[in-house]
Amino acid sequence: MVTKSETVSSFVQAAPPGEVDIKALAPSEVQSLEPAFKKYNEEQYTTVKLSGSSQTVIVSSYNVLDDGRYFDTASQTSFEVDHSSQTASSAQSYTLDSRNADAIQSLLKAFSAAATEHFPSSTVGVYPTDSDSSIAILLVANKYSPQNFWNGRWRSTYVFDPSSKSVSGTVKVDVHYYEDGNVRMSTSKKVEASSSSAEGIVREIAKAENKFQEELNRAFSTLAEGSFKGLRRQLPVTRQRVEWEKIAGYRLGQDIGGGRAKT
Amino acid sequence: MDPFDAALDLLRRLPPSSTQQNLNGIISLKPDLEEDLLSSVDVALTSKRCTKTGRDYLCCDYNRDGNSYRSPWSNEFEPPIEPEEAADLIPGGRIRRMEESLNAGVDVYRELYYEGGISSAYLWALEEGFAGVVLFKKTSSAGGSAGKGGWDSIHVLEVSEAAGKRSAHYKLTSTVILDLGLSSSAVDSLELAGNLTRQTESDLALTHSGSRESDIEQSHVVNIGRMVEDMETRMRNLLQEVYFGKAKDVVGDLRSIQPLSEVGRDRDAHRDVVNKIGQRT
Repeated sequence: MVTKSETVSSFVQAAPPGEVDIKALAPSEVQSLEPAFKKYNEEQYTTVKLSGSSQTVIVSSYNVLDDGRYFDTASQTSFEVDHSSQTASSAQSYTLDSRNADAIQSLLKAFSAAATEHFPSSTVGVYPTDSDSSIAILLVANKYSPQNFWNGRWRSTYVFDPSSKSVSGTVKVDVHYYEDGNVRMSTSKKVEASSSSAEGIVREIAKAENKFQEELNRAFSTLAEGSFKGLRRQLPVTRQRVEWEKIAGYRLGQDIGGGRAKT
Repeated sequence: MDPFDAALDLLRRLPPSSTQQNLNGIISLKPDLEEDLLSSVDVALTSKRCTKTGRDYLCCDYNRDGNSYRSPWSNEFEPPIEPEEAADLIPGGRIRRMEESLNAGVDVYRELYYEGGISSAYLWALEEGFAGVVLFKKTSSAGGSAGKGGWDSIHVLEVSEAAGKRSAHYKLTSTVILDLGLSSSAVDSLELAGNLTRQTESDLALTHSGSRESDIEQSHVVNIGRMVEDMETRMRNLLQEVYFGKAKDVVGDLRSIQPLSEVGRDRDAHRDVVNKIGQRT
């Protein structure tokens, strides 16, 4: 039996990029949607601005601290996040304590540079993970166009193992279009690569993402030419529209279309 | 925002593939919205086999009574319902004649455009005029890397005849629910799901060769058939554009395969060439 708060929470998780706003439906019994918003923000790599900076930083499970605050490697700050308003506050200086601190800094530099080569706008984050034995590399890129009724989000998540010099992760892309309707595209791809240097890792990642994007474009065509065409033709085989006058006089019982068995 | 509008707004934003589940969830939060929501939200169609004729038909609120559904082929409810209920719900006379004709016509249309699938049409009388729904369902399941798909279209119409019965006014609200997906080694998973709704209205002539009632009935079937065909073709093209064109464009806007510094250089080089041509003429 699903509880009301679980129901509302599931709505928050499934909402498209940039459209979270469920307060009108949440009944008064649901005390706080905070945990649902927190989970949503961490999964979606919601970005926040730290006061006094035009740079955005990622909110994720990889950069959360024990006391519920978050930290950012690049600016060396920790901060508080109000999950329902998606805003940051109480920024303080924060020194990263990691045995891979050097690798983290070089990956940050290389990855940020590479990101600007492919993403017109994006936010990057590099953090220690797996009890400081690995390094997490995150990227989120958003595009909101409310006046054209669509939103899109690209999320890359990689975990680099400094001992094996290999990286593995996933790319997820979600698009939502909602003019007089509701259309969602959702795709994901696992990526693996290895290299001995930070620049090498970043180069391999870019190559893999390029390949994925090319394959994705091809997949769109496969669906268009295959499954979509197989649903309804643009025109009948006769290349002519239906002659309704001719068939309007038909009555049931006549063997016309045949009525195929359950498809 | 009033709860009903908030519910519709929320449903519009959640994944279309879980509309039924989300609908149930919203109803559990606000039970008094149930009636209104069920009649306003479109979910994929289900089908049943008519035991009398052996043919498949589609199920919706308009041919339902409790747990029974009326087959458009036999014009009977399955499982059977009380005779008093049936008297009210089972169409006869003019409405049933047009319904039979529409189902037969739509069946031919279905075969020509869908080459398979199921179709059904249900009509009912209104105080003035009549209303109806035309339904189509088709699935394609090559599966795996070739992909799978499901198309459901729901056309709701309202017809009112002009005083002299020389023409009639037709209102059509059409929804197509489309679900596509594939999985391959190159793209682990790709899901495209959603629905689009469009509306149209027109005044169309009712042909009068001798002003026989059957001619008027036939005219309605012709007019409705044509409107549905026009609408479906328009929506199919719109869906193609939105699902494949737009979604692909958005991905391209998020990330550029070609390094952006090169894109900038190419654009500048292109602009130089255009300017030079301009200077020459």
